[in-house]
Amino acid sequence: MGELAVSTAPEDELMTIGLGSCIGVAVVDRARSVAALAHVMLPEAAAIPDAPAGKFADLAIPALVAESERMGARRVRLEAVLVGGAQMFDVGVGSTLDIGARNAQAVREALAKARIPVRAQETGGRRGRTMRVHVGAMTVTVKEAGGREVELWSGSPGPRRSAEAIHR
Amino acid sequence: MSTDYTDLQLDAMRELANIGSGNAATALASMLGREVELSVPRALALPLADAVDAVGPADRTVSSVVLPIFGDIDALVLLLFPTEDAATLCGLLGVEAGTEVGDSAIGEIGNILGTSYINALASMAGLAIEPKPPHVVTDMLGAIVASLLSQTVGETDSALVLDTGLDVADAACSLSFLLLPTTGGIEEILGRLGVGGA
Repeated sequence: MGELAVSTAPEDELMTIGLGSCIGVAVVDRARSVAALAHVMLPEAAAIPDAPAGKFADLAIPALVAESERMGARRVRLEAVLVGGAQMFDVGVGSTLDIGARNAQAVREALAKARIPVRAQETGGRRGRTMRVHVGAMTVTVKEAGGREVELWSGSPGPRRSAEAIHR
Repeated sequence: MSTDYTDLQLDAMRELANIGSGNAATALASMLGREVELSVPRALALPLADAVDAVGPADRTVSSVVLPIFGDIDALVLLLFPTEDAATLCGLLGVEAGTEVGDSAIGEIGNILGTSYINALASMAGLAIEPKPPHVVTDMLGAIVASLLSQTVGETDSALVLDTGLDVADAACSLSFLLLPTTGGIEEILGRLGVGGA
């Protein structure tokens, strides 16, 4: 939770297991084969000096951009894929507003601000998900509990597809 | 606000978990008419990134009951059952797992255990707290724990997890019992126990 990873190694797989209300945000530069993934937990950070880079949507997106650029990505070529933001429980403590939906909203806003287009997304609903970014193939796959792994986006050369699934 | 706890504070939290889950085990034993064994509770103060792994494998499918606690402190009581064990438990109660009745039975068990737990906690720490109705979800362990922690920890980067295992004698059935206090809730509990002010 709250972590961020980046890779250019084709054999690598960036993965976040068990996304509930959290959001997995992948940012990729296909031309340079750079992929970065953050596990966003909450919409926004107050001023916290040592917060983990991926934890808050408003900090995670700039951090993803910076890490990708550090690995050779060009900012103008960055594209994003989002997974997660489910509402798993109707109950909660404190502000019981749907954290999953707020996370998804905050991530989309932060991506729009950074001018990164969202190519595919699967957010909302009530189920937990596992997200994998296959760096070499430039694909993103999603798996629900007890389900099978499904390709959500393929950024590899060839027929391009994109997917949208926003559950309310 | 401090995120590091002293050994004394962790011991106090562990003792609290011990008494709470002891009370819950007694309730479960009388409900099932079987002995229930209790593991030594763990009090884990962890960075968020490690909290899920400390509870169990993130991709394991589990049945869970969540009981929100509110009042002098806010917290979540979380019961986790391996799905097979939830089925065993349903069998012991004479209902079918995975059905609406099965889920309702699991929710009720969660309700009774969670209420026994927090009653012990309330009387030990002198807290006025009440549970809200239970909620049953079967999903990936990581998704369940992370979604709940994101509600309790807020902006801090560490989580306190009180974890106890319960084993039902003569049946392959075990469950873990977790208390996830909000960060403010932890301070409040420690203060009431006379070990506050880290």
